[in-house]
Amino acid sequence: MESFFFRYRNPLVLLAILVAQIVGLAVQVRHTDSGRNTLDPQDGPGVRLIRLWANQAVSPPERLIHSSKLGTDWLWQNYIDLRHTQQQNEELQKTIDRLRLEQASLLEDAKQGERLQALVDFQQKYIYKTVAAQAIGSSGSDQSRLFYIDKGADYKLERDMAVITPDGIVGKVREVFPHSAQVLEINDQTSGAGVILATTRLRGTLRGNAIGQPQIIGVLADQRIQPGEQVLTAGGDMIFPRGLPVGVVEKVIHDPDRDAFIDVIVKPAAQLDRLDEVLVITSTDAHFSPQEQQDMAASEALKGPEAAAILEKKKAAAIMAERLPGLTDPNAPAPTPAQPGQPATTPATPPAPKLLPSAHSDRFSPGAVPQDAGDKSGSDQLAPKAPKTTPKTPPRRNP
Amino acid sequence: MPRFGANSRRDMEIRRYPVLVYALVPLAALVLQAWLPRALRGYAWFDLPLVVTVYFALGRRSPIQGTLMGAVMGLFEDALTQHAIGINGVAKTIVGFLAASVGVRIDVENHTIRLALNFLLSLLSSAIYVFIYRMLLGLNLEWSWIIELIKAIDNSLIAMVLFPLLDRLQIRE
Repeated sequence: MESFFFRYRNPLVLLAILVAQIVGLAVQVRHTDSGRNTLDPQDGPGVRLIRLWANQAVSPPERLIHSSKLGTDWLWQNYIDLRHTQQQNEELQKTIDRLRLEQASLLEDAKQGERLQALVDFQQKYIYKTVAAQAIGSSGSDQSRLFYIDKGADYKLERDMAVITPDGIVGKVREVFPHSAQVLEINDQTSGAGVILATTRLRGTLRGNAIGQPQIIGVLADQRIQPGEQVLTAGGDMIFPRGLPVGVVEKVIHDPDRDAFIDVIVKPAAQLDRLDEVLVITSTDAHFSPQEQQDMAASEALKGPEAAAILEKKKAAAIMAERLPGLTDPNAPAPTPAQPGQPATTPATPPAPKLLPSAHSDRFSPGAVPQDAGDKSGSDQLAPKAPKTTPKTPPRRNP
Repeated sequence: MPRFGANSRRDMEIRRYPVLVYALVPLAALVLQAWLPRALRGYAWFDLPLVVTVYFALGRRSPIQGTLMGAVMGLFEDALTQHAIGINGVAKTIVGFLAASVGVRIDVENHTIRLALNFLLSLLSSAIYVFIYRMLLGLNLEWSWIIELIKAIDNSLIAMVLFPLLDRLQIRE
């Protein structure tokens, strides 16, 4: 018997290890009511422990590499590569001024919107608090689009918290470790986010495909969906707040499995393959955050009068346009909407105003035939056929 | 003229390394596999743990050691993803066992043979991964055989550089 085990020790060890792993795999898979198999959304204690060990083994060297890279970048950017810094500062200052002006002019609308939402008991969630984190590593597999951040339970991160950048959404926290966390990107095959197309208002679920492109699945074929349309979060998945940018429609392809459906390939707004710093939304609330309120107050104080003056000027222009119908043609065709990549087309010459018919026409009315139409002087013949609107005035007496 | 039995001849051909190499090289492979895709803008079509597993399994020529090393590397890789732990584990266990078993029978000093073996074992690993994911577990997975082919080519190119470097670390008596 001993010789049997000794003789076949190699295949026996292989068999034992394979059986142990296959049993372990079977434990992690669940059979759903719909007849499909799925992985446990929540890892068991044993699986979590193995993930924790792997994370503890890999994270410290990753942090070291990342820190040294950051240090080199910082040294280069802050002490060596300072070309055009002054110019960039001026441009940024101008941008801040412009944004403050816009924010101040939109402030009243925002406050009014908040009041109205409170009246109709609408549960709009604003981003209340975020934690900035650095991306330090990845899963290392092309079948698994996730990365690790340098903040974890020590910063009160929890599962299913949304991860974003200022450009757009990135993913959600999948697993939290003591000093790091796992973030599942929106372009992974196992991810899912509720999204809405900004123009057509079609809803769908966003997930990744085999080559790591985010796509909206389960959308009925619709001719209105065009490349360039903006995609936003729908807010129904209880992870991402509503209205955050996701990306733009890149192309539309037919679902290979279902004829009536299409897959909408999305170009993500956030650069998922070159993430360095991300924001984890740790809290949302139905009111503006203190930081947002502070920003708005600063904008109002600094640019309030200026924005109000611009707003008043716009209002005055609108009132004037309303009171002077001849300046705008009510029957003119609507301007052509701008195509992606092309500027909006405007006619070279404004269309001739179409005058409204008068209720009681008289000789002063536009288009009325004057009584002395037969007496044409030379100047009248040269002039274009314009309505004669000159009122009769008494002849001036020369002094 | 001394006469060697099969075991003693194999013992002479077994490569030996300092203990630190056994610990640090697999760890470095795992760390770089996790870190490099971020540095390479998401390009992750290579498998450093697989290359290291094949290298040590070929060099040590012990199926048990190759099996264990493949299992550990695969489980660590799985643990860093969100997928079930054991898919890569099974794939690399089989790869480690096969590499060590083949290493007993062929001339592992030949660089071309090692590269060809690396290429074939990479493809085998991908095939086992897809088989377990889709057939054994019945989970949904989109995959592309072109990507797996590119991954196998990348692994061979990495092996072409890495194997001679690791050869320098072995203990020569």
